[in-house]
Amino acid sequence: MNKSPTQVLVVDDEEDLELLVRQKFRRRIRDGELKFLFAHNGKEALEVLEENPEVYLVLSDINMPVMDGLTMLGQLADSEQDVQAVIVSAYGDMKNIRIAMNRGAFDFLTKPIDFNDLETTIEKGLKHVQALQIALDTRDRLVAVKQELEMGREVQMSLQPKELTANENHDVKAVIIPAKEVGGDLYDFFFIDESRIGLVIADVSGKGVPAALFTTVTRALLRATVSRDYSSPSDCLTLVNDLLCESNPSCIFITLFFGVLDLRTGELNYCNAGHNPPRVVKTDSGVEVVPKTGNLVLGIQPGHSYNNKQIQLMPGDTLFLYTDGITEAEDINNEEFSESRLDEKLAGLTGTSSERVATEVVDAVQEFVGDAPQSDDITCVAARFLAPLPAPS
Amino acid sequence: MEEKTKLSVEAEQSDKATVLTVVGRVDGSSVGILESAVQEQINAGHNTLIFDFKDLSYISSAGLRALLIAARLTQKEGGKALFCALAEHIAEIFEISGFNEILDIRATRADALGAL
Repeated sequence: MNKSPTQVLVVDDEEDLELLVRQKFRRRIRDGELKFLFAHNGKEALEVLEENPEVYLVLSDINMPVMDGLTMLGQLADSEQDVQAVIVSAYGDMKNIRIAMNRGAFDFLTKPIDFNDLETTIEKGLKHVQALQIALDTRDRLVAVKQELEMGREVQMSLQPKELTANENHDVKAVIIPAKEVGGDLYDFFFIDESRIGLVIADVSGKGVPAALFTTVTRALLRATVSRDYSSPSDCLTLVNDLLCESNPSCIFITLFFGVLDLRTGELNYCNAGHNPPRVVKTDSGVEVVPKTGNLVLGIQPGHSYNNKQIQLMPGDTLFLYTDGITEAEDINNEEFSESRLDEKLAGLTGTSSERVATEVVDAVQEFVGDAPQSDDITCVAARFLAPLPAPS
Repeated sequence: MEEKTKLSVEAEQSDKATVLTVVGRVDGSSVGILESAVQEQINAGHNTLIFDFKDLSYISSAGLRALLIAARLTQKEGGKALFCALAEHIAEIFEISGFNEILDIRATRADALGAL
């Protein structure tokens, strides 16, 4: 294997150390195992190190013109360079040896230099450097993995729409505050045709990469199912469920609400696969729970047949979809935001825009949580039915 | 604040089944405790499990997943898993998620033992 030689910098204003090293290590130099660089004072040494970032071990004398070895050590300690230094001092010069060690020297040698001692010390230094290098590589790899996770999350987030262009008939707004870890909340909305809007909210079991992948696949399957042949929310979910069940040995599942709002009539046709029941914020007053359809979460029971229900939205009513990141957000005393706080907050938002409903609920949750850590994604979608679309003439 | 133990699982062996009493919160950070308790019983050849939830205060979706896996593992070994004594708010979580349709839920421990 053609490995590049390990580089060592020798710093001394006299030539004896250089000669000793060149002579004693000549075989290992010739074999390409070691490579020595030389400098004649501290300043020169720092310049050599600057130009040769591959040097991880320095062997340096103390007394030198221009810049002595101890000053150089001090500057090395302040710099970003990962270099280990071995100091060469006069025999018995404990004072300088102490200073050198305090400034971060790895080891020391005394003059006159004993060759075996020199070799052992260099070997030890190189081993130490290698161990450090492995630690640094590992850290770099971890950083790289973290960056990839971040990118994954960005992709995941970019797949979700920000808003549906509002007009006089509807007004849709979503807010998602992701937790630190790449998460499993999903929302989506889209036009099925010119008069119907699909509204989706979902939460996958667990967190992390598997959860995020499952979420992304579910979103894609649902979109594909809807665009290919839309008949009703339950038909779509029955199909998506079967597809998800086909290969899901680890029993990950997803709770998902899929509602379709008909802008001609204000009717919401929906299917709830195990998700927290959404709310309707009535335009005049009050908050209503969207009745369950009594259906199982997606992904674990192939052949499960899903059901639809319908409710009627009046002009000005807002459908509010959310995940348990809202109701189960905890303050520092482990108290939950709870459904009752949510309903109370929503009751104060009747007759307002979907933007206000979504942002004010999330603000209230964040205010309630305070300094407690956010453990789950906080996600909601508000969709307001404003006025029926005129019938085509 | 005092660090409280979030979750404990205690196993009692009877002639017909192993009863696992689950005390505390099952969520993403504690679900491993429940999973290993189940695995331990399966490894010991105990494939009929009754989960007593009278002191279960909360279960997240990660916890529900662990119960589903327990039900499938016991079935695979020729046994079964039953779940009993759900507090009202726990029963609601089972109902919303539809898990009450696919897991065998009984009102009390005596009911569960009687069903074997």
